[in-house]
Amino acid sequence: MPGAQVVPGGGGGKTEKYVDNKRKDDIRMANIAAGKAVADAVRTSLGPRGMDKMLSTANGDVIITNDGATILNKMEVLQPAAKMLVELSKSQDIVAGDGTTTVVVIAGALLRQCQILLGMGVHPTVISDALHKASEKAVEVLTAMAVPVELSDRESLVKSASTSLNSKVVSQYSSLLAPLAVDAVLNVIDPARPNSVDLRDVKVLKKLGGTVDDTEMIKGLVFDHKASHTAGGPTRVENAKIGLIQFQVSPPKTDIEQNVIVSDYTQMDRILKEERNYILGMIKKIKATGCNVLLVQKSILRDAVTDLSLHYLAKAKILVVRDVEREDIEFISKTLNCLPIANIEHFRAEKLGQADLVEEIHVGSGSIVKATGIKNMGRTTTILVKGSNALVLDEAERSLHDALCVVRCLVNKRFLIAGGGAPEIEVSRQLGAWAKTLHGMESYCVRAFAEALEVVPYTLAENAGLNPISIVTELRNRHANGEVNTGINIRKGQITNILEENVVQPLLVSTSAISLATECVRMILKIDDIVSTR
Amino acid sequence: MAGNILKEEALEEKGERARMAAFIGAMAIADLVKSTLGPKGMDKILQSTGRGHSVTVTNDGATILKSLHVDNPAAKVLVDISKVQDDEVGDGTTSVVVLAGELLREAEKLISQKIHPMTIIAGYRMAVECARNVLESRARNNKDDPEKFRTDLVNIAMTTLSSKILSQDKEYFANLAVDAVLRLKGSGNLEAIQIIKKCGGSLKDSFLDEGFILDKKIGVGQPKRIENANILVANTAMDTDKIKIYGARVRVDAMSKVADIEAAEKNKMKAKVEKIIAHGINCFVNRQLIYNFPEELFADAGVMAIEHADFDGIERLALVTGGEITSTFDNPEAVKLGHCKLIEEIMIGEDKLIHFSGVELGQACTIVLRGASSHVLDEAERSLHDALCVLASTVKDSRVVWGGGWPEMLMARQVDELARKTPGKKSLAIESFAAALRAIPSIICDNAGLDSADLVSQLRAAHFSDDSTAGVDVITGAVGDMEARGIYEAFKVKQAVLLSATEASEMILRVDEIIKCAPRQREDRM
Repeated sequence: MPGAQVVPGGGGGKTEKYVDNKRKDDIRMANIAAGKAVADAVRTSLGPRGMDKMLSTANGDVIITNDGATILNKMEVLQPAAKMLVELSKSQDIVAGDGTTTVVVIAGALLRQCQILLGMGVHPTVISDALHKASEKAVEVLTAMAVPVELSDRESLVKSASTSLNSKVVSQYSSLLAPLAVDAVLNVIDPARPNSVDLRDVKVLKKLGGTVDDTEMIKGLVFDHKASHTAGGPTRVENAKIGLIQFQVSPPKTDIEQNVIVSDYTQMDRILKEERNYILGMIKKIKATGCNVLLVQKSILRDAVTDLSLHYLAKAKILVVRDVEREDIEFISKTLNCLPIANIEHFRAEKLGQADLVEEIHVGSGSIVKATGIKNMGRTTTILVKGSNALVLDEAERSLHDALCVVRCLVNKRFLIAGGGAPEIEVSRQLGAWAKTLHGMESYCVRAFAEALEVVPYTLAENAGLNPISIVTELRNRHANGEVNTGINIRKGQITNILEENVVQPLLVSTSAISLATECVRMILKIDDIVSTR
Repeated sequence: MAGNILKEEALEEKGERARMAAFIGAMAIADLVKSTLGPKGMDKILQSTGRGHSVTVTNDGATILKSLHVDNPAAKVLVDISKVQDDEVGDGTTSVVVLAGELLREAEKLISQKIHPMTIIAGYRMAVECARNVLESRARNNKDDPEKFRTDLVNIAMTTLSSKILSQDKEYFANLAVDAVLRLKGSGNLEAIQIIKKCGGSLKDSFLDEGFILDKKIGVGQPKRIENANILVANTAMDTDKIKIYGARVRVDAMSKVADIEAAEKNKMKAKVEKIIAHGINCFVNRQLIYNFPEELFADAGVMAIEHADFDGIERLALVTGGEITSTFDNPEAVKLGHCKLIEEIMIGEDKLIHFSGVELGQACTIVLRGASSHVLDEAERSLHDALCVLASTVKDSRVVWGGGWPEMLMARQVDELARKTPGKKSLAIESFAAALRAIPSIICDNAGLDSADLVSQLRAAHFSDDSTAGVDVITGAVGDMEARGIYEAFKVKQAVLLSATEASEMILRVDEIIKCAPRQREDRM
């Protein structure tokens, strides 16, 4: 519209609005481009043949990972829309724990489709509403495809955990780690609340040395410290009676400032003797209850134990573990079925926990203290992860966390769904058919949504070095013939019934990936301006 | 300028220039938020330039304006009215700014026709009076019929929410908000409604909980479930009662005496705990930390002790359980304890929270919001807050009007008629006022990508009959009957938008000189 452009403050009119819209479109496009860039960055790590990323952080640490949430978290993006994608992956991590890459890849594909729709002049809110409808429909389709699973069906649980592990560095150990994760979660389910699991009851301990093969689940309690043997105390105690103390075995200290005044040297001896007697008195009280293992909480105000008290404790044949963090107290007392004791006067036998054996063992680079055969053990589990170097160890821990989350998802929502891109293709097919029954713009947007979902099998195939186009088209074909569970079998490099191949994942992972990705894309679409503020 | 009356670097703008600067500033602000108006309005990203570059995504006018850097004095006036609107009624924060902007845009045209600002102001005043009267006369009141009143409330909440992120689940959230507000039984004390945000799940998983939820943990070894709880809410140090005089110290000459003092300190603590327990309580909530020793004592006595509840938490807890915050424990008779039927630990998402149900103050409730990310949650909280505010003010003043541009068109028509009856230049200003009112529905249409010129003229024709209920239905993109579609708005919100927008534009119109004081010099940098 030439000529009409120079009307400064001329009371609105078409020209001004035109200029305005131009700017808004630019911002929207910039947001979409940023979102797509983030998605492209993690795309290659999707699937069992996905590659890993090496991240070098600002302070020089190196992380090698395949976990989408970790990659994005460390990327330190600045663009606001890109940040939203990072948040998206975090949310998926919270909700489902797995599928953190998938969710970002789907969001990226949706953004790509939105860009085309916007280019055709569809109003953003129309796209946004249609996407919402499509995602609800997609969740319906997925739910219809799902197979119910019982918690007693351990094999299915193991299968889904190993699907999650297969895409990680530690995939060759999936046959070991998957049952481990399943047992760990099943062990902590509270019969009173069968539908929820608190993963804080599963403690994962990392120790350098050995290989991932040596990872084990321990029915009992493990401390990441060695027993204190400065004074030659015992390192192995059978029929242990364990006391968890929150007071200190050291000379008294008051909160109010105090000085001890020594006026001549005879007094010095007396004070030393008194100190000894004081500590000896405490230890006698401890010993009197039959306690032979002592866990001492860390104290910042004064020494939790002194050399002197350690010496006496060693003489009394009491195994001492010091520097227990306050946050761990709850976990320990739950596991050992004992109560923390905050004052020597309350040190009574009924507050102690009991175990068949408490011993210190050397593991790789350090030693740990292990308590086994605990009486009335609480519903907690400890997993000891080992690895040959710190990078593998960290990645193994992250992978194990994903596997644990997968099992937790199944406890929350007891449905399984096929993996290997099968659900995405099926949703895409059904939405495509549904789109034909709709009218107007909505139909167009739903079709775009359906096309976007094909990105998952496409990327899976691409990352595995297969021909993505032929694979995706063949998949479409097989699904159109009613073979709902056909997916890409990466190991064989062909298309098979994926349920028979034991590649399964929890329903919650797929549904939340789709609904979270849609929610995020809708939010990005609705933004028309970036305002910088204080 | 002859001579320097003002300090160096001070700026002075006079007459026409000053007015222009004021107009442009105000209109720029109005244009900025204009696109967020209406059910199909867009969102903005607010990117902080401060540390962390935190990002907020919002549709709420007040939030956008609050966080802007504004240098123009007239623009600041608009930011202020939006804030006032937020405090007073909670919603319509965008509308008020947009209307003020449109009024100024119209005024600018009049001024270019050499009409004196005072004449414009006089015309605006007559128009606003007339508009308010007609709005009042057409407002409906369903206070006496609780069932209809509830429907009104749900409809109002849905209208408010339809322009926000919650629009997809607006029915669900509208009912949620109405339930929460009706529990208040007219007190309008929004303090008693607590909103807790927890990442994870989807928005639909949000729920209203009758009772109070505290985001804290119960001490180790203490009961996790208490029925018929007597709660003592306290703010006291639970380590040791220290002597606060600086330099106070004790001198002793033997180790055993140090031990004695330590024991004495322990005993003091024990005595304090015993005093607390002597109140006959089974739940103790403290604002400060509870150390291991007292925690164990509480556990021994079977009392649930909750440490480190924040200020906000304990104040609310005291309010809803009917207790008082205590910090001395010498006379148990004087202390008011809080009560509730059941305290238990619940799990939301991955977190454990403490749930107090059957609290004394039956009005209290908690809304737990779930959502995909913290951005979604923050925006959902803002939206819900808007809805709650509107509902609370509607409960006080139960008059309702229709939405969808209906009130604006109705007022515009009456104002137009007034203009015809009024002799003199004032009538021009009155006409302009009507035009400004009509701009609101047209912006709503524009934002939705509809043909505003067509729809607004259709509306105008529909409003020619006296009792029309026509308005724009943005979802279907046509003119429709607002009553049938259930698009309602609170009378109070509309009235506040009208009055404060007019007042603000009047104030800006009166300006004929802007003096900017010289920035304060920092001598050390010179």
